[in-house]
Amino acid sequence: MRKMLAAVSRVLSRAAQKPASRVLVASCNYSKDATFEIKKCDLYGLEKGPPVTTVLTREDGLKYYRMMLTVRRMELKADQLYKQKFIRGFCHLCDGQEACSVGLEAGIKPTDHVITSYRAHGLCYTRGLSVRSILAELTGRRGGCAKGKGGSMHMYIKNFYGGNGIVGAQGPLGAGIALACKYKGNEEICLTLYGDGAANQGQIAEAHNMAALWKLPCVFICENNLYGMGTSVKRAAASTDYYKRGHFLPGLRVDGMDVLSVREATKFAADYCRSGKGSIVMELQTYRYHGHSMSDPGISYRSREEVQDMRRKSDPIMLLKDRMVNSNLATIEELKGIDVEVRKEIEDAARFATTDPEPPLEELGHHIYCDNPPFEVRGVNQWIKFKSLS
Amino acid sequence: MAAFAATAGKLLGLRAVGTEGRWLRLRGTGLQRALLQPVSVTGDEALTRQVAHFTFQPDPEPQEYGQTQKMNLFQAITSALDNSLAKDPTAVIFGEDVAFGGVFRCTVGLRDKYGKDRVFNTPLCEQGIVGFGIGIAVTGATAIAEIQFADYIFPAFDQIVNEAAKYRYRSGDLFNCGSLTIRAPWGCVGHGALYHSQSPEAFFAHCPGIKVVVPRSPFQAKGLLLSCIEDKNPCIFFEPKILYRAAVEQVPLEPYNIPLSQAEVIQEGSDVTLVAWGTQVHVIREVASMAQEKLGVSCEVIDLKTILPWDMDTVCKSVIKTGRLLISHEAPLTGGFASEISSTVQIFFPYKFCECQKLKDILFFCKMLRSIITIQSA
Repeated sequence: MRKMLAAVSRVLSRAAQKPASRVLVASCNYSKDATFEIKKCDLYGLEKGPPVTTVLTREDGLKYYRMMLTVRRMELKADQLYKQKFIRGFCHLCDGQEACSVGLEAGIKPTDHVITSYRAHGLCYTRGLSVRSILAELTGRRGGCAKGKGGSMHMYIKNFYGGNGIVGAQGPLGAGIALACKYKGNEEICLTLYGDGAANQGQIAEAHNMAALWKLPCVFICENNLYGMGTSVKRAAASTDYYKRGHFLPGLRVDGMDVLSVREATKFAADYCRSGKGSIVMELQTYRYHGHSMSDPGISYRSREEVQDMRRKSDPIMLLKDRMVNSNLATIEELKGIDVEVRKEIEDAARFATTDPEPPLEELGHHIYCDNPPFEVRGVNQWIKFKSLS
Repeated sequence: MAAFAATAGKLLGLRAVGTEGRWLRLRGTGLQRALLQPVSVTGDEALTRQVAHFTFQPDPEPQEYGQTQKMNLFQAITSALDNSLAKDPTAVIFGEDVAFGGVFRCTVGLRDKYGKDRVFNTPLCEQGIVGFGIGIAVTGATAIAEIQFADYIFPAFDQIVNEAAKYRYRSGDLFNCGSLTIRAPWGCVGHGALYHSQSPEAFFAHCPGIKVVVPRSPFQAKGLLLSCIEDKNPCIFFEPKILYRAAVEQVPLEPYNIPLSQAEVIQEGSDVTLVAWGTQVHVIREVASMAQEKLGVSCEVIDLKTILPWDMDTVCKSVIKTGRLLISHEAPLTGGFASEISSTVQIFFPYKFCECQKLKDILFFCKMLRSIITIQSA
């Protein structure tokens, strides 16, 4: 009996070892990089556009995969925390639009500037905020990036100016940041993002005019996810060719679900600005799986089939994964391994976000003004005052 | 008033958060719980979220307007809009997402009933919406514009203040946009933060030529909205968003008007006048009953209803009777509309130094019940 058991265990352990050795052998067979064809961009006012082929290295591929997966998991975790009432208020999720944030970051330098509106969690992460600080900010804790006082729509980090609640208001701000870049002469650019709804705000037209007039190094990026809250683009805009809406500004329309297309287009646009030619408009055709915010089911103005169709055919993570596996840049197991690591990271961050203490009451009035010595602001009646330290 | 406030402050010792008595106990328990915990709360209650603690107090069923139906605030608004569109063939409703019913369901069913040329969506452009509304109104048609949240009304501020308010005056009464009414959800809701909670009535109070109205309940809302629509001056109608579902009352089905610029004395009293508008009226009513019960103070409660032009007569008559005035509102204290009311009242009355401890206690009740104001109005 014991001999039989020993024999069985030997066989089983040999069998268990086999996959490991298979992986070891297989890793030597990974390609270092691969060339992919990407969709040609529609051009407006430009003779030449971004290239139609691009080279993706294994290293970059894994990095983009990990980043997109982190953004996806982080958004899904935020969804879960919201339903458990750890996150309150307004929460706008960007799952489905991961290729935009990761692709944009891949096309610019860390010293470049980015500003966007409220669907910003993905960009927060790609610009350098940790998942912990993002989730803690969503739950309103001390460890959050805005010390728990900003919430979903107001997250900031060096060279990332948020996170803005009023749509369209960030257009002129982005033009201003670009002016500062030009003035300082450091070859930095500013990416000014807005949505298809905000594209109809007057402020965006004003920003376009100023940027074109003064040849500011500003890339205006319209993240067209086909719906401005509940209104489809066809019912909100006289012209849904958002890349042409800069009129006197050149524009390109990019497939926003393909991270490589976004990367190449961003590089092209960034080079255009850095060479002193002025501003350029970019339209990223993308899609969001969730509704406008957590209080919007997302299916009263579009069908479930449409959402599922987009998930099946154009999911950015799936597209990258297929490309990498088919051209031998990675194996399914390796990518699954990344999935497990990312899940763990998100779980840790969520645990931190739900256990970190909230900011203390004394900080209520901080940073209203900047003043030395500390300034006192009035509270709800004549006897309550808060210190505004800054 | 200022000296009284300073003395009262010293007496109460409520100079800064975290210094005395009631606030000390709450130190270090975190922002939410500290602010939202009334004094007498026990352990378990402290854990439950007590956002925007108030109780809506419905008025008795009105008898003089015919058959009534139980409605909440957004249904009362829908009913008012329905009546307007039925009565006035030139009336149109437009704004962001109004076609499917609006984000607060105030326009549900109207597009199906009156057609898409009368109830339609606009793109995302507040300045455009109001400007466009002024244009419609100038030709004589009735324009009912919706700004999705009062916080978004600022791009349209120029159009309202510079165009709408001054049209009649600058054209010598040749043109006017009196048939324009702008509706906007207003006030804090508990989770709105910076851009879904604002109460901007004070900004508009500074502008002659427009009327600003804030109802406290569904019955008031329908009557006041119908009055605004029929009024021959451009009106801004702020709807307290927290009451959209929370306030349920019997509201008449037929159209009726509640006059503008007339404040209402909801409860008679003899010791102190309490003035408020919108959601805060319900807080003040609760404060009045607490004051009667715990301090034996008889409070006169006034709902101001129209912010501009406001009913000075009713407020002043009440202060003549009681000799004391307390105004409470959601908007920030500095430059808030309470400062206008208090400075106007003081023109007519000799300055009186009041050491009334009970008045300070009443003020504390206000603070206790609507602690959420602390966050919004800092």
